[in-house]
Amino acid sequence: MFSEQAAQRAHTLLSPPSASNATFARVPVVTYTNSSQPFRLGERSFSRQYAHIYATRLIQMRPFLVSRAQQRWGTVLAVLGSAGDDGKFLVEDHCFAGLAPQKPACPLDTDRFVLLVSGLGLGGGGGESLLGTQLLVDVVTGQLGDEGEQCSAAHVSRVILAGNLLSHNTQSRDSINKAKYLTKKTQAASVEAVKMLDEILLQLSASVPVDVMPGEFDPTNYTLPQQPLHPCMFPLATAYSTLQLVTNPYQATIDGVRFLGTSGQNVSDIFRYSSMEDHLEILEWTLQVRHISPTAPDTLGCYPFYKTDPFIFPECPHVYFCGNTPSFGSKIIQGPEDQTVLLVAVPDFSTTQTACLVNLRSLACQPISFSGFGAEDEDLGGLGLGP
Amino acid sequence: MRACDWGFGPSEGGGGLDPSACSRMGLVQWRRSPLLVPQAGRGLLPHRQIQVTYKWLSYTLGVHVNQAKQMLYDYVERKRKENSGAQLHVTYLVSGSLIQNGHSCHKVAVVREDKLEAVKSKLAVTASVHVYSIQKAMLKDSGPLFNTDYDILKSNLQNCSKFSAIQCAAAVPRAPAESSSSEKLEQSDPPVSPEMQASDELTTNGHGPPVPKQSSQQPKGIMGMFASKAASKAQDANKETKTEAKEVMNASSVGPKAPGKGNVISNFFGKAAMNKLKVNLDSEQEVKEEKKVEQPPLSVTEPKLAAPVDLKKSSKKAEPVRMQQKEKKRRKQMELSDDETKETENMKKKRRRIKLPESDSSEDEVIPDSPGAYEAESPSPPPPSPSPEPVLKTEPEPPPVKGSDGENKRKRKRVLKSKTFTDEEGCMVTEKVYESESCTDSEEELKMKTSSVHRPPAMAVKKEPKEERKGPKKGTAAMGKANRQVAITGFFQRK
Repeated sequence: MFSEQAAQRAHTLLSPPSASNATFARVPVVTYTNSSQPFRLGERSFSRQYAHIYATRLIQMRPFLVSRAQQRWGTVLAVLGSAGDDGKFLVEDHCFAGLAPQKPACPLDTDRFVLLVSGLGLGGGGGESLLGTQLLVDVVTGQLGDEGEQCSAAHVSRVILAGNLLSHNTQSRDSINKAKYLTKKTQAASVEAVKMLDEILLQLSASVPVDVMPGEFDPTNYTLPQQPLHPCMFPLATAYSTLQLVTNPYQATIDGVRFLGTSGQNVSDIFRYSSMEDHLEILEWTLQVRHISPTAPDTLGCYPFYKTDPFIFPECPHVYFCGNTPSFGSKIIQGPEDQTVLLVAVPDFSTTQTACLVNLRSLACQPISFSGFGAEDEDLGGLGLGP
Repeated sequence: MRACDWGFGPSEGGGGLDPSACSRMGLVQWRRSPLLVPQAGRGLLPHRQIQVTYKWLSYTLGVHVNQAKQMLYDYVERKRKENSGAQLHVTYLVSGSLIQNGHSCHKVAVVREDKLEAVKSKLAVTASVHVYSIQKAMLKDSGPLFNTDYDILKSNLQNCSKFSAIQCAAAVPRAPAESSSSEKLEQSDPPVSPEMQASDELTTNGHGPPVPKQSSQQPKGIMGMFASKAASKAQDANKETKTEAKEVMNASSVGPKAPGKGNVISNFFGKAAMNKLKVNLDSEQEVKEEKKVEQPPLSVTEPKLAAPVDLKKSSKKAEPVRMQQKEKKRRKQMELSDDETKETENMKKKRRRIKLPESDSSEDEVIPDSPGAYEAESPSPPPPSPSPEPVLKTEPEPPPVKGSDGENKRKRKRVLKSKTFTDEEGCMVTEKVYESESCTDSEEELKMKTSSVHRPPAMAVKKEPKEERKGPKKGTAAMGKANRQVAITGFFQRK
């Protein structure tokens, strides 16, 4: 993994200055295709009813369900049961659409990493997380660490920021409740936070391709699919072509590995309304159901797609992630048709100071955490290394 | 041992400070004396900062980050061997992996020296250890380290990955055609911007609103001031080669440029100086020409001046700068208008009626209001000599365009309308569609605003005999209201 590879080179930095210092070239992008087109909204019209949307979804899902049910029971029904005397339908068994078919990923010969981060939470007022964010940027851009680590960091071919770049605090609604004359000269809290984000994105995009997904607290539309953040907010960083502002949900094929992920609104919504406790479990369940956000538009705001539902999985991804979970989690699941999916629950960086490194070659995921030191850290508690 | 013994000098280490600059900053003495103490005015560090992080050292000396880390380590070792009694506290960066919750977690941490061994022992695999920072006092928490890093990063945003160990070939700036022009109009110019970039922005902004234009012109004015100050001797030499007539008013107009601060201010604000400038319109033009001739040789001196050292001089030059600034602007304005007397007339009016809704007046308005702004601004933007010309050429375009627009063009507005139709299934569908609609109401108001105030409103209405509707009356009413509103807010501001 990342650390072992990093440790292989000799330690050279606790020594007098040497004449030459190694510089590593960032691994070039071999193949990248952004497949998020279905999530882009063109002309917006909100004149359809919910029933219309559900009907579309049903129609679209029907073929998969039919084939699954036939495989399982040999009947066309997806819900197995019997009609009772009082007109009620007793359900005996049900079956889901299951995993979609998956195209195999082309094997890679060298280790390549994709860094997944979410919940930077800028503008939240927490100084501790700012140092962590800076350390993260420094590791990825190759400033921190010994030569081995810098060499490994050069193999990070992409960084995906999965939402909640701004903190919940920047969404203060005071300006709506207060009188105009009181709030006339005050700036929205998100302005400072966006400036800070712009600087961070500038540092990152000067060194690595970055994909920025909006999240629940970011300045874009509320309903899913969230449209990309506008480039006018990042005047410094958009100068680089390595910066890409993308939708939420986001899917792309990076170096032959298909990624699909959200900023976490779908999973947290299910978490809120069901008894499932583990975010990773919920993630797996959505994959089994073959729908990214089944609770939309019921309890989760979603654009009324009445022609096609883009949240149904057309094919199974290799890496399926969701951002802003309370803790890190990753799991590999196997499907009935030889599908292999790596599920990653990307934790909220502002609270956990942890990001995820996905190895594209081995489809393994390693958490990477950052810490400084504080006055109260007696037993290395901040590092998580305590007893 | 001197700074160049580190292995960098004029032949190596492109992008850093030259050795003479290092010695100016006291870097030569870095290894001899325990200079890691705040010493205002001299010494190694700015007076508020008391930690030296590897990043700060890397940007300041212009060296690879790894070399900076090694330098810090070497310094610590030597100091401790010498045992000079100076207390040095060191923080290290440790990274490696350990097993946690069934995962192999990679940890990256900044730790104090006393905790270093403990942390290392807990890691299963240690990937890297290096010095993060050195400071004199024991740090309670890592907050100040972040502040130091952030400060040095802010002043080097444009080349933030220059000294890093990873270079990305794909990270190329987008071609200007790709990025929309609106992005160029943003005001937050990074302090270290290449010369051509500044001039490019000026030319693209020529058609934009006047506000960004003036902000990028102001730094030019400051640098122009520096240029004239530094080469004032060259100026004197040039003067002597001109004819007598020019020399006479050179004395009158260059007089304010002289370093005598007190004279400058009183001359600047005194009406006598103003009248002098106005009367000598022709002479102003020639002085401007002379200035243009001077600028090419002056531009050679620019790179030398654009060093941070000039920051200190800027406070002294702030006031003469304003004077210079205003002169330059006035000269440019004069060159533009064909009718010079009209320009003077307008200028006179501008002095008295600051609230004219004219683009030119807004430039003048800002200058007396913000003397402190120049000191705050960073002085490094250069005065590219070709750029005044393109700017001058583009300046005449907005005012005439505005005038003709208001009078001749018929505006088309996009209006949201509901359309009801029957679709293929026989269902009635109502949809909201944007349609362009020609609208003359807004055109009236626009025209009212752009006409200058001393023309009575009735005149403007008469100029459009065809549109005698409620429209013009609305327009006048609106304009009257607009004027009145301006007065009202003025009343509040004075409060």
